[in-house]
Amino acid sequence: MKDDPHSRQNAKDAGQRLVSGHASEDPFAAAFKATRMPMLITDPRQPDNPIIFCNTAFCILTGYAVEELVGRNCRLLQGPQTDSAAVDRLRDAVASERDISIDILNYRKDGTKFWNALFVSPVRDVSGVVIYFFASQLDFTNIKSKEAELARARHLAEEEVAKRTADLTEALRAKTALVHEVDHRVKNNLLTIASIVKLQARMTDNEVVERTLMSVLNRVEALSTVQRKLLNDEDVGHFDVADFANTLMLDKIGALKRADIHLTTDLHEVVVPATKASPLALIINELIDDAIGRGLREGGGELHLEVKRLNGHFLIRVVDTVVPVEVDGEQAAFSKKMLEASLKQLRATIVRTVDERRTDVRVTLSVKD
Amino acid sequence: MKILIVEDEALLAMELESEVEDAGHEIVGIAADSKQALSLIEKVSPQFAFVDIQLLDGPTGIDVGQHLASRAVPYVFVSGNLKRIPEDFAGALGAIEKPYTMNGLQNALQFIETIVSGDVRSATVPPSLVLSPNLLAALSA
Repeated sequence: MKDDPHSRQNAKDAGQRLVSGHASEDPFAAAFKATRMPMLITDPRQPDNPIIFCNTAFCILTGYAVEELVGRNCRLLQGPQTDSAAVDRLRDAVASERDISIDILNYRKDGTKFWNALFVSPVRDVSGVVIYFFASQLDFTNIKSKEAELARARHLAEEEVAKRTADLTEALRAKTALVHEVDHRVKNNLLTIASIVKLQARMTDNEVVERTLMSVLNRVEALSTVQRKLLNDEDVGHFDVADFANTLMLDKIGALKRADIHLTTDLHEVVVPATKASPLALIINELIDDAIGRGLREGGGELHLEVKRLNGHFLIRVVDTVVPVEVDGEQAAFSKKMLEASLKQLRATIVRTVDERRTDVRVTLSVKD
Repeated sequence: MKILIVEDEALLAMELESEVEDAGHEIVGIAADSKQALSLIEKVSPQFAFVDIQLLDGPTGIDVGQHLASRAVPYVFVSGNLKRIPEDFAGALGAIEKPYTMNGLQNALQFIETIVSGDVRSATVPPSLVLSPNLLAALSA
């Protein structure tokens, strides 16, 4: 039916009748012809519903001359990549005389493609019979290619994100492995240092040398305990003072093997940065050793340990009740020096109250500093 | 107790040996890798063992531990990284974390003696010894 000259003549005649029905000065017809919106009219009462009229804008859009279009069905715009599902929907709408608005890939006369936002609507006479189909087209190839461009850009961005995520995951894994490796080396070195000191202490016959070495070992071991207690996971580089103090105290008191030491504690988690861990550890170490040296070791007694927050500050408190014994002056002086240096480092204040056999030492420092 | 030390650092092994001997025990062997450890276990039949996880031939301390457990020899891991220990502790009583202190080691050893001698209830657990889930359950039962 496509190129039957007879039907093409019929279509032309129908177009003529349509136009002649309107006076040449009819503003609607003039508008139809002159608008930049491509439009056409088909006649469903003729075989294969041919185009009977189209405007200049439609010819410009498709590259066909009016004579090439009139008498032909609109499917001449379809091509190999036109979506057949879209064509089916269009055909169904026409067959059931409904409006349809559809995006469809069409082809110009020269074979180039364009995206067509097509609108087709039946035109009825007074009795309701469909006498024409009106169609308007809109070339939205630019929009469509921008969409494709956006989709491509999004795809690239997603690829980039995936790559960066993989890089970061790997970097994190490497960092975690490094932290563990360094942690392992520090722990091993601390234990090696302690072993060297102990080995020499074992080998000497000189009581003063032995005492001195054990005094060094004591401080090294306080730092070893810090290294064990440093948090390596979610709270990396932090340190719970209360947990440390409790472990250190139980280690020291347990090793005295005395049943007559009564321990009490009031401990609350106080997490501080690792940079403060060492001076804090040395302070707590000196306070506990002081109590042990002044009488706990020789005659037992009571020991109370407190670590808690006090609005903006935190408190470390060691209270002992002992029968006092004479202490080694040199060791006591050394201990005092250690304590002073550590307190200075942390800008902490110390208050020491002695009431007969009871010694109460309170160290306070700012949590924020 | 006749005790085996499985530790690849000679200095640490030596010091541990002195500590353990001071506490009145006998060291029946020191192994630096798993092969040596396994052959010593056969030869000297230890009553107890300290087992480092990272040995000269790699992280093979776990295998040594499993072998000890299969022969019903009680032992503890001694390691700087307790996270490497399997969840069930591979049959170990517990673990001593490095760097341990002299006091911590002595307290742990005293506790272990009590446990190995079969007296499960009387001892208090020192903070220097991390107990295995099995031992923890036995103690709280």
